[in-house]
Amino acid sequence: MIKASNISHFYGAEQVLYNLSFEIKEGGFVFLSGESGSGKSTLLSILSTLLKPSSGELLIDEVSIDKIKNIDSFRQNRIGFVFQFHYLINYLSVYENIALAALEEKKQNINKILEELGILEFSSRYPNEISGGQRQRVAVARALVNEPKIIFADEPTGSLDSKNSTIVYELLREAVKNGTTVVVASHDMQIESYATQIIRLKDGQIL
Amino acid sequence: MAIFLISSVSQGVIGMYSKMIKTDGDIIITQKGISDTFFSNVDISLLEKIDKLEHVTSSYAMIVGASPIGHIPIAGIYGTTANHFSHYKLSSGKYPKEGEVILGANLAKQFATVGVNIGNKRFRISGVYSSDIGFEEGGVVMNIEDAGVLFNRSASFILVSSDSPNKIDNIVKKISGMDSAIEVKTTKNFVKEYNQFKIIENSSFVISTLAFAMGLMGIASVMSMIVNSRKEEFGIMRALGKSRFFIIKNLFFETLIMSLSAYLFALVLSLGILAMLPHIEMLQGYVNGTLSLSTALYVLASTLFMALLGSLIPAWIASKTDPILLINQGCA
Repeated sequence: MIKASNISHFYGAEQVLYNLSFEIKEGGFVFLSGESGSGKSTLLSILSTLLKPSSGELLIDEVSIDKIKNIDSFRQNRIGFVFQFHYLINYLSVYENIALAALEEKKQNINKILEELGILEFSSRYPNEISGGQRQRVAVARALVNEPKIIFADEPTGSLDSKNSTIVYELLREAVKNGTTVVVASHDMQIESYATQIIRLKDGQIL
Repeated sequence: MAIFLISSVSQGVIGMYSKMIKTDGDIIITQKGISDTFFSNVDISLLEKIDKLEHVTSSYAMIVGASPIGHIPIAGIYGTTANHFSHYKLSSGKYPKEGEVILGANLAKQFATVGVNIGNKRFRISGVYSSDIGFEEGGVVMNIEDAGVLFNRSASFILVSSDSPNKIDNIVKKISGMDSAIEVKTTKNFVKEYNQFKIIENSSFVISTLAFAMGLMGIASVMSMIVNSRKEEFGIMRALGKSRFFIIKNLFFETLIMSLSAYLFALVLSLGILAMLPHIEMLQGYVNGTLSLSTALYVLASTLFMALLGSLIPAWIASKTDPILLINQGCA
């Protein structure tokens, strides 16, 4: 499903990833693990098409990312994101935040997903009117709304307590059961128990 | 708003003076080689000869000057021949005889006395007049003989009216032949060529252009700051699959709404201030504003252009940046 070949990346003169090559199979729950500064967030950004690598090639479903003409549309159709700090837009309500990400034909799913995640009653509230755990569930709902083939999550539980962390992991596992590939970058080792594949990084290299 | 007010007030000052001259005659006679009516001296005895010309319906002479009046540091003084008094609509009292003056309504509010000191002479106040020209409303009208003594001249200028617009050029020629020390022009040409107007126009053009340029740079930099502060939001939108076009289109309409709202707010506020200016006693009605449609449209077009330039250029640059870098820059 995802094939990375010789991926390297620099921030200015500083190299953060060194010739990484690996494959991720469809329907897996992949854990990108490593200490802070190991390069896992950078790698996740590259895999999710949010950042162009300095060198190397990335194939998703055997198509090179460089050859995709409309990367925005590709992202909206195939990829979902969960960020550490949820990154909801504060002037939009919970419902509107999800609607912003939703494809036109998937907008009918919004209330169903909100209900499944237990946040339907907050749909008209704004992000600053709900708790951190609820905000992260909204972020997960936003990632799921288009029923993407892949969900990338960067430290999705970094700002949550253990109870809410478990809720988020269960939601992601549920997505895997429904055929979605989930790639999570985290230093939270709790996730190992959910993972079907683990990629360990240290100083920008795969161990 | 500064753009509106500076342009409007300078246009208003020019408008008031040109209206004063244009509405009272078709031809103006001033001293040759003197560029300012305040310093011009024309022989008043020309009036007799001018009145005998064919197609001349009326003529009158005027002395314009400025002087401290009582506690007021400066006010316009208009000495005129008696046949021009009717131009000043009396709201109380009588037209002035020798040694008397009538006060403009704005100036009259500041004098509860029966007389005023002008120069080294005391004049009795015989009445109060009103005028829709701010300069006159804050001034004093007296007999031209009294003004002549006060300012030591015969007349500042003579204005002539004709019943035949086609014959005006012919009348101008005839009057020019009467005295080699005078300059005769149609009032229309005079207003167009009057040096004082050119000075006011040029200086107001420079001031309003500078205010305008600063205002526009301010608009562009504020819009640019607003867009830059929203990098994280644009990054999130790009991460969610929203196209560059979607982001720029939304920003375009947001900028349009913001600019139009700010423009309308400034326009209404400026019109309010301009409406208040003539009624501020301290200004004696001398500061007046006229906001022309062309100025309003010019300011609108420039404001929109700069606001869009200030917001769309950084948005375009941001749209070409990797989404995750935008998100991280926004967090920084």
